[in-house]
Amino acid sequence: MDKSYLGEFEQLVLLAILRLGDDAYAVPVRDEIERRARRSVARGALYTALERLEAKGLLRSRMSDPLPERGGRSRRYFQVTAPGLAALREARAALLGLWQGLESELEKR
Amino acid sequence: MTDRSRPLPPPAAERLLGALIPSPAWRDAVLGDLREEFDALAAGRSARAAARWYWRQTARLAARLAGRALVRSIRRPDPPVSPVPRKGDSLMRLLGQDLRFAFRTLARQPAVTLIVVLTLALGLGANAAVFGIIDAIALRPFPIDNVDRMVRVAGRLPDSRFMEPLAPADFLDMRAETKTLAALAATEWWDVNLMGRDEPEMVHGFYVSAGFFQILGISPALGRAFLPGEDTAGRDRLAVIGHGLWQRRFAGDPSIVGQTILLDAEPYTVVGVAPPGFDYPFGAEVWAPLALDADEAATRDVRYLSAIGRLADGKTVEDARAEFALIAKRLAEQYPDTNATRGVTVITLTEGVRDEGSGPFLALWQASAALVLLIACANVVNLLLARGAERQRELAVRMAIGAGRLRLLRQLLTENLVLAALAVPAALGFAWLGLEAIRAAMPARIARFVRGWSQLDVDGRLVLFTFVLAAAAAFIFGLLPALQASRPRVADTLRDGGRGSTAGRGRARLRQGLVVAQIALALALLVASAVSARGMLRFVNGPQGYDPNGVLTLQVTLPEGKYADPETRRRFVSDVVDRLRALAGAVEAGATNILPSSGNNTSRRLQLEDRPDEEPSRRPSVDFRSVSATYLEAMDVPLLQGRTFTAADRADSLPVALVSRNLANTYWRDADPIGRRLRLGNEEDAPWITVVGVVGDVLQDWFDRRTTPAVYVPYEQQPRLGLVFVVRAEGDPAALAPAARAAVLAVDPNQPTFDVMTMRRMISDKTIGLQFAAGLMAVFGALSLVLAVVGIYGVMAYSITQRTHEIGVRIALGAQAGDVLRLTVGHSARLAAVGVSIGLVLAVLVGRLMTTALFGAYSLEPGLVAGITAGLAAVALVAGYVPARRAARIDPLMALRTE
Repeated sequence: MDKSYLGEFEQLVLLAILRLGDDAYAVPVRDEIERRARRSVARGALYTALERLEAKGLLRSRMSDPLPERGGRSRRYFQVTAPGLAALREARAALLGLWQGLESELEKR
Repeated sequence: MTDRSRPLPPPAAERLLGALIPSPAWRDAVLGDLREEFDALAAGRSARAAARWYWRQTARLAARLAGRALVRSIRRPDPPVSPVPRKGDSLMRLLGQDLRFAFRTLARQPAVTLIVVLTLALGLGANAAVFGIIDAIALRPFPIDNVDRMVRVAGRLPDSRFMEPLAPADFLDMRAETKTLAALAATEWWDVNLMGRDEPEMVHGFYVSAGFFQILGISPALGRAFLPGEDTAGRDRLAVIGHGLWQRRFAGDPSIVGQTILLDAEPYTVVGVAPPGFDYPFGAEVWAPLALDADEAATRDVRYLSAIGRLADGKTVEDARAEFALIAKRLAEQYPDTNATRGVTVITLTEGVRDEGSGPFLALWQASAALVLLIACANVVNLLLARGAERQRELAVRMAIGAGRLRLLRQLLTENLVLAALAVPAALGFAWLGLEAIRAAMPARIARFVRGWSQLDVDGRLVLFTFVLAAAAAFIFGLLPALQASRPRVADTLRDGGRGSTAGRGRARLRQGLVVAQIALALALLVASAVSARGMLRFVNGPQGYDPNGVLTLQVTLPEGKYADPETRRRFVSDVVDRLRALAGAVEAGATNILPSSGNNTSRRLQLEDRPDEEPSRRPSVDFRSVSATYLEAMDVPLLQGRTFTAADRADSLPVALVSRNLANTYWRDADPIGRRLRLGNEEDAPWITVVGVVGDVLQDWFDRRTTPAVYVPYEQQPRLGLVFVVRAEGDPAALAPAARAAVLAVDPNQPTFDVMTMRRMISDKTIGLQFAAGLMAVFGALSLVLAVVGIYGVMAYSITQRTHEIGVRIALGAQAGDVLRLTVGHSARLAAVGVSIGLVLAVLVGRLMTTALFGAYSLEPGLVAGITAGLAAVALVAGYVPARRAARIDPLMALRTE
């Protein structure tokens, strides 16, 4: 299998899940991204991303017990897998590598 | 806010989303998330805002999900194997796979798909249109709830299929005795003059028993229905008016209730307005209580009431029928003079409305539409067989790596179902167009008598019918090709290298069989449509026994109250006839009680002085005509013997009559009819009438096998209330209409005329059923011809493509263009010959059936059949010749190289 390169949105999703810990299902994940990254997130895009990340093995999910406040439906909680963490680390390293030494350049303009 | 009253997300949106998300776990997750957010929104803002928000989210998600599925299905390459079911895959999921795959396959061959869909749509559309007619006319003709609990009670003579009205006393006895009916009401015709506002207008009305509206479950849109007891003399000057009349004449004025209107010069108080669309029976627009006085209530020998009833709970039509048979039997024993031969019948309301003639027509149309669909299916089968041949390799590969035959079969059938489903909207479009055309072609004055006509439309039932039929068709046209295609000889096909499309011998035979069937069915349909057309033309343009050209007719019904004295009627008629004759452009004018082809008739029992008399109920029945002295001349009915009526035949002169030729031939074949005496009616004191002349036979109704004997008497001697004036014009009779109408109003300003139209128009109206039959059959015939031609062409073209290699070799070895033409045209000629032979047998059978089932309106003419057969054979040959010519031009080098 190819190495997974993470898209920007995928990174945001994975990071939000990490931040939320045990409480990571779609609703707070979306809130977290909107709050911290200050951008609006389409629900459909989020679900698509979650599904794709799970299919790539970067996320795993479990279903909660049915909850009355959800009309008897379960929550789908996500957790970043080891390959997910590795992919994040890699993405961070790649970005930092490129950032290196550019601070003064960015300051200038 | 309590838990109970918490708003819920819109269930429809939830269902829609749920349906779009295939995985149950994801469905739970997404719907649950939305629910949480919905609750927060509903608590924070309002339930309505939350619901709106929910729908917005649903729409966005749905668009995204559908778009993703589409993109995926386009982008993803065909799976090398058809998906093999994994454990735990639900049937629905498999269906989803099949559907996605079907759409991709069909999208790859858009031309084939389009042709198949259009062909199917034509066949389905024809069936849907006919179903629409049958549904409206025969199955559900009333805007009435629980219509299947309504029955009609009618009299019936032994050995007669016609239903007769009931006598008032019989009706009252039945109503008093019945236990199987919860209620029974009578109606009586009452076409009435609405006066006092603008021009007087003839309004279709009925006297009805007080319980009439309750039985039908109709509550007025305004005001009330009649109350019990209001159908007694003295309390009965009340009216319920139709919604249309209310809008038309009273501008929808709600204060109409309580107002008085003039009907036949009598004041009636309006108590209610019927709900929109309610016009039972026969397009009624005004109803008044049926008040029977003591004399009428004791009458058993005059029959003029129709009766409708509602079945009691738990009783069936059969129960009611048995009970009424007993009642009729008791009445027959108790009143042998009047009721000895009277039977009674109970039928459902919907059964009763189908007039006796429509059944065979409807059956003919439905059968024809079914044939068109079959022909269309044959075409589709052919196309699919061809495609199946091309997909042979794909299917073989799948089987080789383990796809089960059943799995492939299901895949192929799913494709067919998708094709059929795609055809449904187009079919409904065709059906809608057809029904619109049919509605437009039917004059409103006739549509009134075709119950259910106003309900002719594309509705939910029609859509459902079309879907079901489409599914059935999908199996019909899908099973054979699917079976064929899913039975590839795997090894053969794979070994066959790139070609992989050799049509098996069995498949070729099947395809040829289909073409033969198409030709045969098309021939049968074409003959049926030609027979319809000829029958129609014969009655519309054929000899009528008089000259219908250049005649204008006006109908008038004199109100009984105002014209109670026969002398007033005589004066009215002679004044109007005089004025009509004096019109500029009029040649002659006259009056009669019954006009030919008007759909009305009056008959009398006949007694002859020189013949032994019979039981009153066994005396022969003859058409009774009361005519002005100039009527026969105005109509151009030929006088064969004796004299016509003159001004000297007056009320107080010797009673005289003219008889029709067939009457004279029946009773006085070898004797001179002039001077013989006859009596009309069963009354013992009826006067003896002297025959003074013989006139030609007149065609009364198109479905009469032969014309019935008729007796004409002078209007002066038997003045009737129902009248038709006729004017023979020099030029266009329709141009005389305003002047003729004015002539009637000049004699009586309150007297409306109705059905002012030319005699030609009258005949055309009365044969409208035949014209419809002919028109529809012509459409079906044309459709079948086009489809059959397409079928022949398609098969020949395909078979030549398949044989390109073979033909190339033949040409390379020295075959001339002529030889190739002979080979290929010979092939289609053989198919056409077989098809035509089978079709001929079918056509004769269908023609026979039509001539016997449809009152002898039709006849099967050998010349016609031969002509159509030759024509179809020629068309079939041309359809085969076009591809054959291409075959003759095949370049052998190209043909061999492209192998």
